[in-house]
Amino acid sequence: MSLLTVARDDFTNARRSYAVLGVVGVLTSIVALIFVSEIGVYDDPFRTLFDVSFFLFLVFPIVLAPLTYLAIAGDRDGGAIKYAMGLPNSRAEYVFGKLLSRLGVTLFAVLFAVGVGFLVALATFVNAPDVVMFATFAGVSLLFAFAFVGVYVGISAVTASRSRAMLGVFGAYFVLVPFWFGFLPVISLTELLRTAADLLGVTLSQNTVQFVQALSPATAYLYSTEVVYQSVLPSATYQNMTATFTEVPDEIYREFWFNAATMLVWGAGSMLVGYLSFRRSELG
Amino acid sequence: MPAIETDGLTRRFGDLTAVDTLDLTVEDGEVFGFLGPNGAGKSTTINMLLGFLKPTDGAATVLGHDAAGQSRAVRQRTGLLPEGFELYENLTGREHVVSAIDTKNADDDPDHLIERVGLDPEAAQRRAGGYSKGMTQRLALAVALVGEPDLLILDEPSSGLDPKGAKLLREIVREEADRGATVFFSSHILGQVEQVCDRVGIMNQGEMVAVDTIDALRDQMGAESLVAAEVAASPDPDAVAAVDGVREVTVDGNHVEIACTQPRAKMPALRALDDAATVTDIAVEDADLEALFERYTGDDPGDGSGAEEAEKAPESAATAGGEDV
Repeated sequence: MSLLTVARDDFTNARRSYAVLGVVGVLTSIVALIFVSEIGVYDDPFRTLFDVSFFLFLVFPIVLAPLTYLAIAGDRDGGAIKYAMGLPNSRAEYVFGKLLSRLGVTLFAVLFAVGVGFLVALATFVNAPDVVMFATFAGVSLLFAFAFVGVYVGISAVTASRSRAMLGVFGAYFVLVPFWFGFLPVISLTELLRTAADLLGVTLSQNTVQFVQALSPATAYLYSTEVVYQSVLPSATYQNMTATFTEVPDEIYREFWFNAATMLVWGAGSMLVGYLSFRRSELG
Repeated sequence: MPAIETDGLTRRFGDLTAVDTLDLTVEDGEVFGFLGPNGAGKSTTINMLLGFLKPTDGAATVLGHDAAGQSRAVRQRTGLLPEGFELYENLTGREHVVSAIDTKNADDDPDHLIERVGLDPEAAQRRAGGYSKGMTQRLALAVALVGEPDLLILDEPSSGLDPKGAKLLREIVREEADRGATVFFSSHILGQVEQVCDRVGIMNQGEMVAVDTIDALRDQMGAESLVAAEVAASPDPDAVAAVDGVREVTVDGNHVEIACTQPRAKMPALRALDDAATVTDIAVEDADLEALFERYTGDDPGDGSGAEEAEKAPESAATAGGEDV
């Protein structure tokens, strides 16, 4: 099947590139560093996992960018697409083969980084890390990765040059993470919504605002990590963590299935848009 | 059934018409030279034949399939050596060939193909990112040969090849044609196609200005020959110019050039020159297809020098040139 041939070639090509090794190395080092720096701070590895999730929420989409943005745009820019599409591959096989390969690289990066974090915790923390908890964490992080790999490869499928793909990917990061979540002082989706509501003379409830916030894959990831700590919450030791996950409204956007679906829809939807655009695009 | 048939095939990019109502038929099993200067619309045509670009107007049928709608079926039976492409830098040459074999469900031996195009087996095990242009072209030719394609589309295949490589390329084209494949050989250099092609089409500014066999094109040229001679002292050119079949005599100091419209006029012209002056050296150039090619693809046929050009050029060329303006 030629989708698998496209994926195999792309994976091999990526595996041997220093950029990809570098990205996997950076992600792993950062996760390991967070664990190492908290050896004497917390007794429980899951508390450090909680810090790692915040870090991944902010930084993982940036780390994924160089891993994905050239998937298709790089081939079109350089001309390797004439090799790939000169062979009897359909546009769908080419695009989804590329996605499969980049997801494979990402899967490896996440499992490797979480695995190294687990080993550091096992060797150094007072309490042993919980395998199920780490595995759940890896699973939720993979959903998050799926969302962003989908968005980025989708953007790569829409663009025909390296520079545009890079602009698109960083634009997507800015919109989906800082802008949507609202931790930039002025420029944020919630500010925009409030201003629009004021102009229309309506009041937005806090619930509505939070619902909208939860529709970004990054916020969805943050909320979805609650599922990792279910067995240890509420925790008397870790007030901050308990506050984050227990004093929450009983609304749909704090349900795990909703957050998981949000991430899946972002990833799959972006790929669909990317494919539909690529199917019609001209490769001359 | 023709291997390639285009019907009013047209492609515009904004205001630029890259390919203008092209009607082209390439018969099954023939070796067709697709000639034209850079920017004539050759690659745009090829990209439409492969479904990479959609025609603005008209249609192309390749191996019986609609090029735009059934591109995959076309590519299954076509071997492509594209122009301006790149290989995957971290894949070896051999891996490229293996993937092509897998994708086409062919049963070729990758090492045999690599050997056939003259790529060093050790080089084939190295990453393609370090390949020279010539090695890249050889590898792409190996990829194109996968699965004994019914049609080979070679877009500027000789670029980057050394003379040995170019010779090997011609041999492979002949072998493939003997096997029964149709070869569509695009080039901006006439010399690369005249030795292997049954017919050539010359494209200029998006239009096909001439399609014929090499021999017919040569006849069209009137087989003009040029005799160049070194003489001891400047002769009177009139006696030489009076010889039947001599079109023009140019004297520049001790250098004389005699343009003959017929090859058999060369010796009488030379005797007349020998009578008029002491000839110390001569050189003869025969009908040059390159000149014909240049005439068809000149930048501005029909400018100030138009009258003289039209006189020299065969009728069809003048007409084709006229249409271009």
